Amino acid sequence: MTSLVETHNLTRRYGSNLALDHLNLTIPEGAIFGFIGPNGAGKTTTMRILTTLLPPTSGEALIAGVSVTREPRAVRRLVGFMPDFFGVYDNMKSWEYLDFFGRSYGIPAQRRQQLIGELLELVDLAHKRDEPVMSLSRGMKQRLSLARSMMHDPRLLILDEPASGLDPRARIELRELLKELRVMGKTIMISSHILSELAEMCTHIGIIERGKLLAAGEVQEILRTLRPHRIVEIRVVAGAAHAEALLRAHPDVLELRREGARAESDGQEAPLNDETGPHTLLADFDGDEHALGDLLAMLIAEGVRISHFAEQSGDLEDIFLHVTKGIV
Amino acid sequence: MLELNPILVKDLRSRMRGARAYILLTIYLLILAGVALLLYVAIARDIGNELNAGRQIGRALFFTISTVALIEVCLITPVLTSGSIAGEKERQTYDLLVASLLTPWQIVWGKLVSALAFALLLIVAIVPVMSLAFLFGGIGLTEVLIAIVGLVVTALLYATIGLFWSAMLQSSLGATSFAIGTVIALLLGIPFLVVIFSLIIGSSAPSALLDSIWFIYLSRFVIALHPFIALGTTASQLSSGGEIFFEVVRTGATQVVVPSPWVLYSALSIFFSAALLAASVRLVQPMRTGADRKTRAVKKR
Ligand SMILES: Nc1ncnc2c1ncn2[C@@H]1O[C@H](COP(=O)(O)OP(=O)(O)OP(=O)(O)O)[C@@H](O)[C@H]1O
Ligand SMILES: [Mg+2]
Repeated sequence: MTSLVETHNLTRRYGSNLALDHLNLTIPEGAIFGFIGPNGAGKTTTMRILTTLLPPTSGEALIAGVSVTREPRAVRRLVGFMPDFFGVYDNMKSWEYLDFFGRSYGIPAQRRQQLIGELLELVDLAHKRDEPVMSLSRGMKQRLSLARSMMHDPRLLILDEPASGLDPRARIELRELLKELRVMGKTIMISSHILSELAEMCTHIGIIERGKLLAAGEVQEILRTLRPHRIVEIRVVAGAAHAEALLRAHPDVLELRREGARAESDGQEAPLNDETGPHTLLADFDGDEHALGDLLAMLIAEGVRISHFAEQSGDLEDIFLHVTKGIV
Repeated sequence: MLELNPILVKDLRSRMRGARAYILLTIYLLILAGVALLLYVAIARDIGNELNAGRQIGRALFFTISTVALIEVCLITPVLTSGSIAGEKERQTYDLLVASLLTPWQIVWGKLVSALAFALLLIVAIVPVMSLAFLFGGIGLTEVLIAIVGLVVTALLYATIGLFWSAMLQSSLGATSFAIGTVIALLLGIPFLVVIFSLIIGSSAPSALLDSIWFIYLSRFVIALHPFIALGTTASQLSSGGEIFFEVVRTGATQVVVPSPWVLYSALSIFFSAALLAASVRLVQPMRTGADRKTRAVKKR
């Protein structure tokens, strides 16, 4: 796969505030790239540089080999952008909205008419064609904006937190839509601070914090490299304190957490009390299936009552917390 | 490009779609007609029996209408443009425009022309009222044409003043305040400076200075920055038999030929409009460092 987006030591300062710190990012053509980071990490800043809306302080960004700073117009032709906050015009109908941006991208009138129909169909707004944009719901506006960003058939779509403010159903619809766009051959860069939102649809992710790229690559690879161990979830109905002591002493358990506590150190003080209800322990386990079976047998033999014992499925949320730990 | 400027089409459409445009036009014409009527009543009673009463009424009507129209143009056009680009920023549609294939020039030009189109509508609307004055006699076609040129270049300059602030600032309220502030500073500041200057230097100045070519040019230049003084001076020169396009100033033995105030005013207005337009275009180019905007600092969280 060739890379469509490349940044070399991309840096952006706001006064003394370093918003992007020598960012080196690569997005392969055809990927759905999830750009993840907490608030203020520099996601929007990166996206605004890639869409030629913000000049970098230093460094370089290339889209399909075209420099963002030297040939902004050529880049604008290649990129469709949906900002985190965007407005619509009052007293404009849905089709007029698309028509206006079609004109702004210099699309000929005939082609425009055809495109508006197709795109409204794609984002499932064909029935709202003649409605004023202001009357659309937030999710609909979001989809209309997506259609807008596709008017000039860009190779790269940059979507800044497109799912924020959407209800679960609208999120699922958005996800389906993005998959469809990927099939159409688009490369998509999408930002979020909620990992689970991106987990299922992304092929690649990049984790950014304080302007630095902490990890980036294929989702599966990231899962492998950042989480070499299995995390076992154990729900204890009786004997929680004993179980905790046993697990802590076990050589294969690298780390033990109580659910809800973020780091190991958080909840160590008071011993667990069975009276306060069943407790869930998360054990970072460095061993194979057999060792896991032995662990369960040992706990039961020790009289611990267990209602749930399962390996956690690879969860990006954990990786996120793991990678960004302590810096936030 | 064969297609019309998209910004122009969009803005004209939304400007004309709402009732606001018609309300503004109606108020504007009502003020003009009201002033004309009051004036007519007042003058007709005063000089009703004189021989050339018609001519006097005609002249008074013409100058009053032109003055009121000029005041209205000075105040309305900067308001029309000051909301334009800042309005897009407020509505958070500005980034979408800038990230599109529209050039900064297209954005600025589209905004200017859509506002000017409306200002021209206001100017065209007074033509019937002016022809009424024409019917009474006392003024010529030259005066009417100069008045219209004066109104048009004033609309152009004051529209670009509003546009410049609109490109510079983030909120339309701020842009409108600064635009109106600039207009008031120009309209009141220049006469103020002239008065101060003549008070300080007037009585004691040596006639060598007052007669020097530089002083003549400079004073004409200052006068030509002010629409009311420039056009008013032209009107009085014309009525005392002066030339249309230039003026001959006698200083002692020599004669200096200077352009008529209205010519100089028009030229300066067009020049400053072009400069302000160029500045606005620069402000709309994001990839130029320095044109970096600071809206998002206060945005959220
Ligand atoms: N216009 C601006 N002026 C000054 N500082 C800014 C500006 N825009 C962003 N910053 C700073 O740059 C840093 C990165 O901001 P950015 O908006 O890129 O973060 P983000 O990852 O998009 O966050 P969020 O999840 O909140 O959208 C922050 O520290 C922010 O305060
Ligand atoms: Mg952001």
